[in-house]
Amino acid sequence: MIRIGLRDARSHFGRFIMSIIAIALGVAFVVGSFCFREMLNTQVSTMMATNSDHDVYVRGVDKAKDSSAMSMGGGGAGENYNQIDNSLATTIAKVEGVSSASATATITGTVLVDHDGNAVSTMGAPTMAIGMSSSEPWRSAHFTAGSYPKGENEIALHQFAADKAKLKVGDTTTIVYEDGPKKVTVSGIFTTQTSQAGAIIIGVDPSVARHYYAATAPDPNTSALIGVYGNASTPLSNQAQQQLADNINKALPAGSRAHAVTGDEVRKEATKSIQDAMGFIQPLILIFAIIALFVGSFIIANTFAMIVRESMRGYALLRSVGASPRQVFSTVIIQAVILGIVGSGIGTGLGWGIIKLIVVGLAQAGTPLSGQSNPTVSGMAIGMAVGLIVSLLGAAIPARDAALAPPIQAMNETVNPEKSVTLRGIIGAVMCALGLASWAFTQALATAGGNGPTPWKGVNDIATGFPLGFGAALLVIGAIVLGPALVRPAGSALGWLPSHIFRVTGRLATRNLSRSKRRIANTAAALFVGVAIVSCLGVVAASAKASVADIIDTGLKADFAVSSASYGRLPQGAIDAIGKTSGVKSTVTNRMVMGVKYNGKSIDSAITTATPAAMFSEVFAATTTGGSAEQAIAAGKLVVAKNIANDNNWKVGDTITVSATSTVIDEEATKQAQAGYQTQVQAEVQQRMAAGDKAGAQQAMNEAKNVDPATLVKTKSVTKEQPVKVGAIVTNSAYAGGIYMSDTMANDLSDSQMQIARNLFVIAKPGEDLTALHERLLKAVKPYYVVTVMDHDEYKSTTSSMVNQILMILYALLALSIIIAIFGIVNTLALSVSERTREIGLLRAIGTSRGQVRGMLAIEAVIISVFGTLLGLLIGTGAGAMIRSVYKSSGLEKLSIPWSQLVIFLVLAVVVGLIASVSPASRALKKPVLDAVSSE
Amino acid sequence: MARHSAHTPTSTDTSLTASSASTAREAGGAAISDSTKRINATGTHNSVSHNDDGVVAYAANLSKTYGTKDAVVTALDHVNVEFGRGQMTAIMGPSGSGKSTLMHCMAGLDTPTSGQVFVEGLEVSAMNQRQLTDLRRKEIGFIFQSFNLVPTLTAEENILLPLQISRKPIDRAWFDQIVRVVGLKQRLGHRPSQLSGGQQQRVACARAMMARPSVIFADEPTGNLDSRSSREVLSFLQDSVREYGQSIVMVTHDPRAASYANRVLVLADGQITQDMHEPSYEQILQVFASEGDDEQPTQPTTSTNPSEASL
Repeated sequence: MIRIGLRDARSHFGRFIMSIIAIALGVAFVVGSFCFREMLNTQVSTMMATNSDHDVYVRGVDKAKDSSAMSMGGGGAGENYNQIDNSLATTIAKVEGVSSASATATITGTVLVDHDGNAVSTMGAPTMAIGMSSSEPWRSAHFTAGSYPKGENEIALHQFAADKAKLKVGDTTTIVYEDGPKKVTVSGIFTTQTSQAGAIIIGVDPSVARHYYAATAPDPNTSALIGVYGNASTPLSNQAQQQLADNINKALPAGSRAHAVTGDEVRKEATKSIQDAMGFIQPLILIFAIIALFVGSFIIANTFAMIVRESMRGYALLRSVGASPRQVFSTVIIQAVILGIVGSGIGTGLGWGIIKLIVVGLAQAGTPLSGQSNPTVSGMAIGMAVGLIVSLLGAAIPARDAALAPPIQAMNETVNPEKSVTLRGIIGAVMCALGLASWAFTQALATAGGNGPTPWKGVNDIATGFPLGFGAALLVIGAIVLGPALVRPAGSALGWLPSHIFRVTGRLATRNLSRSKRRIANTAAALFVGVAIVSCLGVVAASAKASVADIIDTGLKADFAVSSASYGRLPQGAIDAIGKTSGVKSTVTNRMVMGVKYNGKSIDSAITTATPAAMFSEVFAATTTGGSAEQAIAAGKLVVAKNIANDNNWKVGDTITVSATSTVIDEEATKQAQAGYQTQVQAEVQQRMAAGDKAGAQQAMNEAKNVDPATLVKTKSVTKEQPVKVGAIVTNSAYAGGIYMSDTMANDLSDSQMQIARNLFVIAKPGEDLTALHERLLKAVKPYYVVTVMDHDEYKSTTSSMVNQILMILYALLALSIIIAIFGIVNTLALSVSERTREIGLLRAIGTSRGQVRGMLAIEAVIISVFGTLLGLLIGTGAGAMIRSVYKSSGLEKLSIPWSQLVIFLVLAVVVGLIASVSPASRALKKPVLDAVSSE
Repeated sequence: MARHSAHTPTSTDTSLTASSASTAREAGGAAISDSTKRINATGTHNSVSHNDDGVVAYAANLSKTYGTKDAVVTALDHVNVEFGRGQMTAIMGPSGSGKSTLMHCMAGLDTPTSGQVFVEGLEVSAMNQRQLTDLRRKEIGFIFQSFNLVPTLTAEENILLPLQISRKPIDRAWFDQIVRVVGLKQRLGHRPSQLSGGQQQRVACARAMMARPSVIFADEPTGNLDSRSSREVLSFLQDSVREYGQSIVMVTHDPRAASYANRVLVLADGQITQDMHEPSYEQILQVFASEGDDEQPTQPTTSTNPSEASL
């Protein structure tokens, strides 16, 4: 029996090609997604091993509750712990077994200027400056040329950064810190074992790093982590790390609120948190894998149904000579096994190849990845298993039909009428109705002000995203379940036009669809899911673009918007330069104020901004539900965005206690610390002198001179508070998520260091030539490299181009699901043609032309694909509109349905149908009419 | 059927016996003359039938073989035959005699290995697909043994299908008349699956008649029917010949069915062995009974033995 199966498989191989392609694509997605995840994981973990390579880390003991604490300068660690005192480093350095200890200071948002004077750009990867010196080394960095940077006028560069900037040791260039550009010399070039995924790594003197880190940190005297090396050249084993951590913990003074943990543990945590953040990528790829495999199982079922039907007499013969049903079953199933193995084998290779290609592509685009991109054994096994299971599932029912073939098989051309689809229709309709109800509830939740739509608090507190997603899932699954019941009405509706243009073929095509509703619905489902996903995101993207454009078109009165690429802070110099540019009437600067609490609690969703009153009159005209925003600012009151006011139940006239915590230099404590240190040094010198160790005394003196005075600066937190009235509530989405106060109030409450200039708007003098002014402004900010001056169109396109990039990726995925869907339609039609051989022969015998047969099948295919596409467009657009409506206040003010895009999808569906019908029609026509109708 | 006599020039009750008899005689004579100078005779033959208009279709020197080299099977062996207009001709013969192949070649469903086939003076054997489609639309109607109807269409839609496919106007009066004759007035809205085998076959007959083809080819039209349904279908075919002058070529192995025909041809081993005119059921039975006795065809009862028999 197995031999018969193998021979059958060989003779049917041609027909298996389509099934194999479908399985291969599905498995490629699966294996590819595992490879991709594996690659990201290894990339992240190797980068962690290199970039966070300390043997022991000392960090806070309490997980920070105050999540508004700035984590700008902090590392990539997932958990926020309380900050620890930098001075602990000195204590730790003295612990036995410690080679060096230092607070890790990494500054992001710097910009490196290349050999030609242009800022080095990356593919979204950050540019980071890391403190490093011979006494505070970065163990994983190996200098290939030059040495550590000394002082603020030197930098070292990672090999990748040096290549990218075309700089070598000794070259002078410019580096832009938050406060502006600085001329520096390249002191050395180093490499790391792993690639840095396109990040530009700059080594700077630790004191420089600390200086800039302190500028953004809530407390310059504290850090998130202190890194400890146990050995300057080789990493410690896990056991040794633990030993060292224990030693350090013993040495840490009580009350320091610090705790030493092994480097491995920190790396594991950080790696996990990054991997979690990247975790969404794999499910996204897997969705398309599921589509491919769904269609694949389906194509296999169709193919085997055809093969089994054609071989029915053979099976009947086998049965009549004594083969058991089980044996007949196995002849069919063995073919499925072969198909599954071949398909998954090809798929594994394909998935691997795709990932390799992606890696090469990313490296070309400037993001070299050194992560392991080869499929793991488990990934391959999963792919293989999935491919096999899908093949077996697809072949199971046809194989059963074969097995149950009666020994004397009366060839029955008329296919048994389908089971009723009413039950599926009802279940599907109920699911869809529940989905819609869930959306209605979401809508109610989103729009309800204050108390929420229901009397139950627990229900009202549900995050809107949950019922939204639940409803969408119900609708998609419900539509798939409902599908077969929709085939007849959809066929009649969609067939109306073709039946009127092509009277006979149109009608025949339409009626044919209703014969096997499940098959048609399943075929259409492949397109449905793909189109639904893409059209949903298309609507969201279009709405995002339209909303931004709308804000700018209708609200922005200022002529130019200025912002900075370097983590948002506009250098004061740039602000001044713009103000002095001729032709500028006035500028409005918005400063983000950090560490502000309202009635004692920080509001995570709100950004506090200090702004002049002119913001609301000259930059963006404010629409308010109560009070005048301009007057409110002028009168020292708050202006609150509507969504924030709603969340907190604030109304105009409410009084709120606003408090802000700033860190200031504690003069007294600093003086004491310095005095204390001097005393300590003097004591040591005297002690050594007394002991006759003159050289030692001299050394102690010198050491004291070299001590960074910054380490002796003591700071304290100062909290100021004042009661403030809510003066106005603004409804414009441009102001969404914001709480605005006057500059005066901000300065009263907090230190200037706690205010970051985020953006600036330029209002030109009346009648000024804007193009020329734009040129002058660009020239004025040129020395700051990272400052961009955008006119209205550029301002709009900043969001558009990002949205377009996301859409490009989606369209690529759509293209893939379309290809798979074409396979599905081709296959379904091929099966349908093989079932209708005699019918088509009859039609030909009574005078149907070849063109008419082609036309009939083309109409069938087009209706299938348009049916799936329409369903997808409907639900996808609905979901997009729902998302827009729920997140209205977060920048999706305006609903924009990309009609032209949707029409293109529909046209594409027609084309897909036409293409898909070509090969089945040829197959139908190849059959001689005689063969089709002769009864012998 | 005076009110529909206009549609074919020869469709009158009186012309039936006379014309069919003469056509048959001519056919026999032509066949004899062909036997001596086969190729040359074809041309003459062509012109004769054209002038005469009593022949709706004919085959000249028609051969059909299957397989290659060692395994050649000859289905038709240099057959010359004419089919009279306004006649029902039955083709009989044992399995493998080539009766179906002859009909398939005549109808353009199969291509001859050599020789020519003409329908209404058009050379079917030389036609391409497009011309064949055109031929089927204008000149030929089909009735098959089974699976005659498109399952998704109602009886009425099936009957009108040929006209709609060829985008011809529908003659409602003609439709009503056919429907009445086949007795399907009450079942027009039914799908084939809701009709009995006899009813389905009557629908197929009505469909074949609807486009008023020059000739209807029927391939074992009663093969799957019980005797009552067979009678109904055959009566209808006979009536259509008698009343509307329809030309019908029917392949059958049932002597009872053949007895409805005006002329019965018997094939054996790819050659015509008998050509009987208006044979009775008993006569037909006798031919087959004797055939069974000695494997040799008996002498013709009503007509001359076709030349091929002697080759």
